[in-house]
Amino acid sequence: MSILVRYALARFASACLTLFCVALLVFAAIHAMPGSFEDVMVPQGTQAMRDVLAERLGLNKPILEQLGRWLSQVIQGNLGDSLVTQESVAAEYLRRLPATAEIAGLATVFALVVGVPFGIFSGLAGSRRLVSQFSRLGGGLAMSVPDFVVGAVLLYLFTRYSLWFTVGNWVPITENLIGNLRSALLPAFTLSLLGIGLIMATARHATIGVLGQDFITAALARGKSPAVIVRHHVLRNAGIPIITILAIYSGYLLGGTIIVENLFSVPGVGRYLITGVLNRDYPVVQAGVLLAAFFFIVLNMLADILYALLDPRIGRRRG
Amino acid sequence: MAAVAEIDSLVLEFRSRSGRVRALDGAALSVGDGQRVGLVGESGSGKSTLALALGRLLPPNAEHLEGALRVNGKSVFELDHAALRGLRRHELGYVFQDPIGTLDPTMRIGRQIEAVLAGTGKTASIASLLASVGLNDVRRIVRSFPHEMSGGMAQRVSIAIAIAPKPKLLIADEPTASLDASIRSQILDLLVSLCAAHGMALLLLSHDLRAISRYCERVAVMYGGRVIESGLTADVFGRPLHPYTEALLRAAPGQERIGGRIEPIPGLPPVLAGRIEGCSFAPRCTFAVDECRTRRPERTDHGDRSVVCLRATERADAMAGVPPA
Ligand SMILES: Nc1ncnc2c1ncn2[C@@H]1O[C@H](COP(=O)(O)OP(=O)(O)OP(=O)(O)O)[C@@H](O)[C@H]1O
Ligand SMILES: [Mg+2]
Repeated sequence: MSILVRYALARFASACLTLFCVALLVFAAIHAMPGSFEDVMVPQGTQAMRDVLAERLGLNKPILEQLGRWLSQVIQGNLGDSLVTQESVAAEYLRRLPATAEIAGLATVFALVVGVPFGIFSGLAGSRRLVSQFSRLGGGLAMSVPDFVVGAVLLYLFTRYSLWFTVGNWVPITENLIGNLRSALLPAFTLSLLGIGLIMATARHATIGVLGQDFITAALARGKSPAVIVRHHVLRNAGIPIITILAIYSGYLLGGTIIVENLFSVPGVGRYLITGVLNRDYPVVQAGVLLAAFFFIVLNMLADILYALLDPRIGRRRG
Repeated sequence: MAAVAEIDSLVLEFRSRSGRVRALDGAALSVGDGQRVGLVGESGSGKSTLALALGRLLPPNAEHLEGALRVNGKSVFELDHAALRGLRRHELGYVFQDPIGTLDPTMRIGRQIEAVLAGTGKTASIASLLASVGLNDVRRIVRSFPHEMSGGMAQRVSIAIAIAPKPKLLIADEPTASLDASIRSQILDLLVSLCAAHGMALLLLSHDLRAISRYCERVAVMYGGRVIESGLTADVFGRPLHPYTEALLRAAPGQERIGGRIEPIPGLPPVLAGRIEGCSFAPRCTFAVDECRTRRPERTDHGDRSVVCLRATERADAMAGVPPA
């Protein structure tokens, strides 16, 4: 038990340290960018106007003081207000979260639904069979073509020939389910391609690895049918590396949603973050990056827990 | 005596990137009902290949070229998938070398045993099954994962799983090789007593000639993918007719008959790429004559014993007057 507590504490401490470093980095990066908030907001304004603005928002204070103020705010759970709208940054992100969560969630589901079966089938079929060749080629392509290329091609295709899907016209799910799907499927599909490739390749390798294990030969020797062997042994054992790759894929999604949301004009957190960067809306950018890091850490912890559930050799100790 | 397993001039090759390997080059073996047969031979002689062939469990790169293989009168290489599964489930039991590796690492032992019992249709309780292999702490064992057990316990579980359907033939491929020396004889005692209790035949693959002579009434010696000598263990080990058997006995540690002196066999066992004309042991054989290198020896019977050696009759006659060592 105490091992578990120590482990949890260590994980928590390292998560805090990571977040602190991310906070420093993003603060430094956004402030180091050429052009300040005042330049963006009142580009033609006089120096006096800029000073008033800076004075009101505390942007004229020494940079270290600004950093300290922001950090102490964040520690108290306050992400600050947007310089542009003067609204709470947390509320702004929360409002945009459903759209992002939807396309990222759909992308993950696509990636699993396509990647796992194809990967496992091709692993089962051996290297010479058609499924294997298809999944290796398809998986390789899906992993190597950048998402903005895929997105741009899809964008061109579907704005030119409006084939049921809509582009650049986001409909929230609360408004109209069909309309929502018409606007969400393309960005989700674009995001899922890398995941399909990654998961397919991982599932394939994992399956081939599991099939070479003695316990598969032993199960065959007991007269188990291939279907039972896949269900009882292959899925469980191959699930472990698939979960690892899912955690890595979720890291990609954090960046991928930014690109895809901007391409397809999805009003999600990624696009808001980019708008924040363009406006030099410091609290928005800082909070966005910090939240992304937080999200990534939480996902990795979840993956570790799932891992321990699937693989009893990890994390469980008994006399 | 009816045979549970009959193997006749079985030829089997593995295809690999570097070419073909002929793992069995006309192997022949018969296991009678309820018999305990040892299978010995240097590494690479084809023991495991033969054992896996009995259940058609060879990897996909293996190719059956010639020869027949029957288990309980059924021609194993001609069965359809369903019949093959039936054969594996009801008539054959396997115990492998690495007991922990043959159990699924992600499943509790109890579930793995349940899955086997469900498949056989036999109504034995897990508790009585585990008790029959000497595991009494049933509650703890069914809740354990394979990695939480010792090798000896895991091998007992594997044996329990293998005997659950009461097969006609139990095949044990070096079942104690990965275990601590102190528990090897316990495991072998267990295997042999279970076979006797249920009337199962046992095919025991091992490098431990002493264990074979203790537990198996018959023995088959393999070399270069063939069974080069087989018969009653006392005869084969007491008066080896094949020069390879004799060399193997000399090379074995702790054979009383040579007073503890070990003489390793010079040279290396062959890796065959195809059918070999001549005797595969000839290059290492101190009795070899020119003919041995050009004429393929066929099996000859000498009483209850079969030998694959051109000079077997000569040696048998020479030995006839000599009392067994
Ligand atoms: N899957 C395989 N692919 C290619 N060659 C193989 C394969 N399995 C076995 N062989 C080859 O077949 C021959 C016989 O191997 P086998 O495993 O039957 O020997 P063995 O007598 O069981 O040896 P050991 O005592 O080491 O277990 C060897 O030359 C081996 O290299
Ligand atoms: Mg072997």
